[in-house]
Amino acid sequence: MQLTEHVRHNHVALAGAVLFAAFVLAAALAPLLAPHDPWAHFKPFLLPSTMHLLGTDDVGRDILSELVTGARVSLSVGLFSGALAVSFGVLVGLLAGFRRGRLDELLMGLTDVVLVIPALPLVILVSVYLGPGLWHTVLILGLVFWPSTARVVRSQVLSVRQSGYVEAARALGAGDGWLMRRHVLPNVLPLVLAKFVLTVAAAMLMEASLSFLGLGDPLAKSWGMMLHYAFARGGFINELWWWYLPPGLCIGLCIFALTLVSFGIEERSDPRLRRALDR
Amino acid sequence: MAAETSAVPAQRHEHPSATLASRAARYLAALFIIVSLNFLLPRLMPGDPLMNLVGEEGYYAAGGALDELRSELGLDEPLPVQYGRYLRGLLSGDWGYSYLYLRPVRDAIALHLRWTLALVLPSIIIAALLAAVLGGLAAWRRGSRTDIGLSAGNLLVYAMPHYWLAMLLLFVFSFRLGWFPLGRATSGGATDLPYLLDVGWHMLLPLVVITAFKATYDFLIVRNSVVSILGEDYVLMAQAKGLSAASVLFRHVLRNALAPLVTVTAIQFGMVLSGALLVEVVFSWPGMGTLIYDAIGARDYPLLQAAFLIIAVCVLLANFIADVLYPLLDPRTR
Repeated sequence: MQLTEHVRHNHVALAGAVLFAAFVLAAALAPLLAPHDPWAHFKPFLLPSTMHLLGTDDVGRDILSELVTGARVSLSVGLFSGALAVSFGVLVGLLAGFRRGRLDELLMGLTDVVLVIPALPLVILVSVYLGPGLWHTVLILGLVFWPSTARVVRSQVLSVRQSGYVEAARALGAGDGWLMRRHVLPNVLPLVLAKFVLTVAAAMLMEASLSFLGLGDPLAKSWGMMLHYAFARGGFINELWWWYLPPGLCIGLCIFALTLVSFGIEERSDPRLRRALDR
Repeated sequence: MAAETSAVPAQRHEHPSATLASRAARYLAALFIIVSLNFLLPRLMPGDPLMNLVGEEGYYAAGGALDELRSELGLDEPLPVQYGRYLRGLLSGDWGYSYLYLRPVRDAIALHLRWTLALVLPSIIIAALLAAVLGGLAAWRRGSRTDIGLSAGNLLVYAMPHYWLAMLLLFVFSFRLGWFPLGRATSGGATDLPYLLDVGWHMLLPLVVITAFKATYDFLIVRNSVVSILGEDYVLMAQAKGLSAASVLFRHVLRNALAPLVTVTAIQFGMVLSGALLVEVVFSWPGMGTLIYDAIGARDYPLLQAAFLIIAVCVLLANFIADVLYPLLDPRTR
């Protein structure tokens, strides 16, 4: 039982990693894979054909080429905002867990407040004021998604600090910096990795939602932007499903892949969960 | 949408001495920060604060009288004075004027908020029940085909953008099959029972999407907590007493698994509400989502600010209610 569970879950995580890697590869090779220039104009509203596998949109752009190029935008916004949010969260979590006291209370109070603020309406409001732009989106999402990482890192730091081997090391004269490198970071890293994967997924979904509402960057069309145009410019009403189904499916498959990966990491690193599964 | 996609929600930061009063103080602090944010954003963000405050339509409607409007809104006064003014206005219900809806922002919000709540509140309850049954079943028969099938199906629905699922359902059931209306909340004209039936008919598809959206989160939580509860001694005891499987599952296991669901529902209330906003846009449901969508298009900033504020207040309230309810559900914390 124990062995089969473990193997099965690793397979699941591996499948997720492979699927996500395929999207990353497609994004990297976008100029080679896209059959046409994504900005070139053909006849509008062409039906899918061998020339245009997914037809063309309202201004005559090849939808498949937009889809492949859109992978770059969606994935990079997700990865950059994920990296920003997680770095910030790790910093706050380490500070709060290590310094304790007043600073801890202040930082965790702030974390609680940010966690309770509904993200989408706030992000909408800020994006409307800042105007469209990929870096704006990355910055805003980075500032919204750090708290859960901070929380996890802090509690991990606290539990590591209280463990016997750290007490012993401290008694032998180990300083904060050494403890951090030697004992805390190795314990925190798998959790941070899992959080990063989930944050990338959350950021990709949020970027898609924002773009769907019309707040995306028209000069760097993401999958969410494609959904927006398909919805707002008649692709949806006119049942041109080859226009709006593929970008949504791509977003969903990326989230699916990332979730599988995070399950794998979490199970490997959280012995409580592993035990619960082994029962 | 998802602020928290984590399958296992982060535990709340709990001080040992956390009482209801101190939680309330925490929410008030959060409210203060949210209100201050709402005050500062239009004044600190790029662009003319006047434009940021009244929206594009309002700005151009003022014509040559911009300076008068500026001093009428107190924008030439120092920030602390403006803040006092802003708070007084907020409390007395003066939330600005919407040039998009040609009525006070407060009225526009009141008109739309109820339609959103009418969609979200039933969805949350149905989703919790659905997840309790399916999640309990999957955990009870963990490792079986039922479990793998349910978990995989759940994960797929969870991963897809739910407003995209909404488009898919609308395409299949309304456009192609014609079983449901193309959107909006009523066909108009009817009253009383026919009116309610009409609204229900319009509501069904959006309700299904939001319920599925919320249930996929709940499913993972119920499944995980049931799996860990199944290892507890009192479950073994109940089985040893010879109780039936159903009795053990429903009376001993699910009861304990549901308490965390209340907390999670509160934590995720903002997320579900936000998710509903996007679904509303697809179905042209006349709630806050459609209001926000239209306000973005018209750059009606006062409306967007008020929408953010009122949704944040709803989320804070939901969290506070959950704090009150939790001890009733989990006797250990009484």
